[in-house]
Amino acid sequence: MTQFERGQLERIRLHVMPTKRFKTFAISLFAGLPLEEDNVTPVALIPFVLRRGTASTPETIAFRERLDDLYGAGFGFDVYKRGDAQIVQFRLDVINDRFVSSNVPLLDESITFLGEVFTDPAKERDAFRIKYVDAEKETLRKRLESIVNDKIRYAAERCLEEMCKDEPYRLHPLGKLEEIGEITPTSLYEHYERWQEQAALDLYVVGDTTLEEVTQLVAKAFQLKPGKPAGYSLPDVSHQVGEVKTVVDKMEVNQGKLNMGLRTGVGYADDDYPATLMYNGILGGYPHSKLFLNVREKESLAYYAASRLDGHKGICTIQSGIEIKNYDKAVTIIKEQLESLRQGEITELELDQTKAMIANHLRELQDSAYEMIAYDFNSVLSGNDRSAKQLLEQVQAVTTEDIVRVANRVQLDTVYFLRDRKEA
Amino acid sequence: METLNYPNVQETLYREILDNGLEVIVLPKEGFHKTYATFSTKYGSIDNKFAVGGESPVKVPDGIAHFLEHKMFEEPTGDIFAVFASQGASANAYTSFDRTVYLFSATEQINANLETLINFVQNPYFTDTNVDKEKGIIEQEINMYRDNADWRVYFGLIDALYHNHPVHIDIAGTVESIYQIDKETLYRCYETFYHPSNMLLFVVGGVKADEVFELVRANQTSKTFKPQGDIQRFFDEEPSSVKIPRKVSELPVSLPKVMIGFKEKEVGLEGEALLRQEVETKLMLEALIGPSSKLYQSLYEQDLISDSFGHEFNSSSGYSFSVIGGDTPKPDELIAQIKAVVEAMLKTGIEPAAFERSKRKKIGGYLRMLNSPEAIAGEFTRYRFRDSDMFDVLAFYESCTLEQINARLIEHFDFNQMSVSIVQSPAE
Repeated sequence: MTQFERGQLERIRLHVMPTKRFKTFAISLFAGLPLEEDNVTPVALIPFVLRRGTASTPETIAFRERLDDLYGAGFGFDVYKRGDAQIVQFRLDVINDRFVSSNVPLLDESITFLGEVFTDPAKERDAFRIKYVDAEKETLRKRLESIVNDKIRYAAERCLEEMCKDEPYRLHPLGKLEEIGEITPTSLYEHYERWQEQAALDLYVVGDTTLEEVTQLVAKAFQLKPGKPAGYSLPDVSHQVGEVKTVVDKMEVNQGKLNMGLRTGVGYADDDYPATLMYNGILGGYPHSKLFLNVREKESLAYYAASRLDGHKGICTIQSGIEIKNYDKAVTIIKEQLESLRQGEITELELDQTKAMIANHLRELQDSAYEMIAYDFNSVLSGNDRSAKQLLEQVQAVTTEDIVRVANRVQLDTVYFLRDRKEA
Repeated sequence: METLNYPNVQETLYREILDNGLEVIVLPKEGFHKTYATFSTKYGSIDNKFAVGGESPVKVPDGIAHFLEHKMFEEPTGDIFAVFASQGASANAYTSFDRTVYLFSATEQINANLETLINFVQNPYFTDTNVDKEKGIIEQEINMYRDNADWRVYFGLIDALYHNHPVHIDIAGTVESIYQIDKETLYRCYETFYHPSNMLLFVVGGVKADEVFELVRANQTSKTFKPQGDIQRFFDEEPSSVKIPRKVSELPVSLPKVMIGFKEKEVGLEGEALLRQEVETKLMLEALIGPSSKLYQSLYEQDLISDSFGHEFNSSSGYSFSVIGGDTPKPDELIAQIKAVVEAMLKTGIEPAAFERSKRKKIGGYLRMLNSPEAIAGEFTRYRFRDSDMFDVLAFYESCTLEQINARLIEHFDFNQMSVSIVQSPAE
């Protein structure tokens, strides 16, 4: 199995996997800071402004044309939260030169591009360009306002927000609407400089290259300030639940969205993490899972009924779309599934199927450059460098007793329901 | 078994049509752990009136192809997901306008999973009870989409563009139409469209071609299929004009969603000609309105569009239309500006530099797609069912000229052929 080779250049950790299996070079830069009330909004805005132009190509059209010239390099970014960190991830996917008659070295050009985006943005008077800041503030505002358009996502966000009322995790990774207005080109530039100095930085490259080549290219392309790489702090997953919260929102909807938030008390680096993965898989990760079988197949209550695990934060969430009048019935059935796991009502078949599915996922991710990067980045985040192969072996060794132990640690925290405006 | 080499993308394909008519294609990907297989029938939501051989045509309820897809997963022995799970495979299916695709992806027990895929799709099991039970589930799926603004604006547009062609019918049907579905009609559709001669098996990933062919041949030889006459599909006459120029739906949204569609006047292209038209149109749209175009930047700077703004082109021998749109605070202002720029462009043509950049971008996007077994299987099947070859696309992009896309520009953008679909919040 191919491995990541590790290096370091000032504040950036470098992770390079030399392989000829793909037709592209996959490049990812992660910049992470603690999720904080006062900084979450400006930090979210930074990548939006950075993608408007660099010092050498300050006009957005020229900037975009540069990407087209790199054979339509897939450039994009994401802002999300993992554990208690707010992470900005830049991605650049560019064709390996051997497939096209390019007269410029595409990896070199791409890293140069990314280096400029990250360390040498378009500026005016020692701050960001006001035109770009204003436009991207609008874009960010629209993004935050549009969350409500997708009712499935909206319900999931609202459930987490209510569940984590007193923790930074309640914050949306894109920040807060009411704080966008006050951001200025100068204040944002100050946040950008702080971000450059404090964020944990990890650069990944997967493709037909070497650590040496990438190190040289990064040294040339990034204007790096001296320093040592920053790390991530581990989130506290030992949250004690008091009474179960019930929250109902009303909106013009045809279908009710029922979400539940559970605390697992287990983090990614925890020994019980493999058993927690199994717990989530048996509960609702797959079409053979308890939620799918009992909510959908047995009772025809829903089209989707599933669970998802945020392993870094120790939160498992359940989501389902149901007819509004079936709320009580669905809640009862879902709670029965949680109870049956606590009672250890797990068949050999469920155990085997879930292990096989998790194993398949862990093997498959090796066929995708970006999935390998995402998996490896979990190690950076958690400080636990468990390889996919090791995790696979640990999952295989999980017993029913292990799952029951996890099930008894799991606490239902919040029940959230998005429903119509009609009277109950 | 024939071997097809595509040296420009460094891929090799193996192909065979079995005695019963089933087409099998294998694309080994060296070094890949995963195998991804799709078993597809050329049967989708538009195939709602048909006949086989000399029989009289039958009209079936809307949404039946999708309903059938759901029901295929049930076997007398139980749910087929459980079997795949035991074999470590993740399985799924989807129904589109013109095809239904069953698939799995797995890293182990590939032979067992391939057998399972072929066998469950070739073994329908419909009862009155299991058909009734599915109606509640699909009703919730339909309700889920009714709340989805992106989906509503898209289907609203197709509905505005087409008078009669069944492309304007929701793939899942309506709550009313699915309650008309019974097991007899399901079997009728199944017998017609799931004959091996109407199907394609595509296997891509860490496999050896000869082993796959051996397994599939043995599996198919052990089953008997009645020879089947040609399937005839009937479509009511579709006027070349649009049905309505503007359709507005209401749903709570943060900003109105607008889609502008241009309906192609002439349809009926097939095979290579259809593929060439698709390549030219996509290149033309990218140069005209892609993220590095002047139009895009100008609209973005005026705050008329956001990152959601995009374009697509959807074509087959029976329907063909482009879609441009996204979220906007001012739908009519956006439409007016796009119209003005397109009208100016009809006189000047696309700039040569914009054309060259779009071409590079499309070539890069195509090559990047080849990293993904899922995308390869999906795209290959889509093109194959239109009698064309996905691997020709690269050469078509490379050979496409500015004159061709300028001709396409003029042919495609006829403002009498335009409909607009808008989803906006209900007035308070």
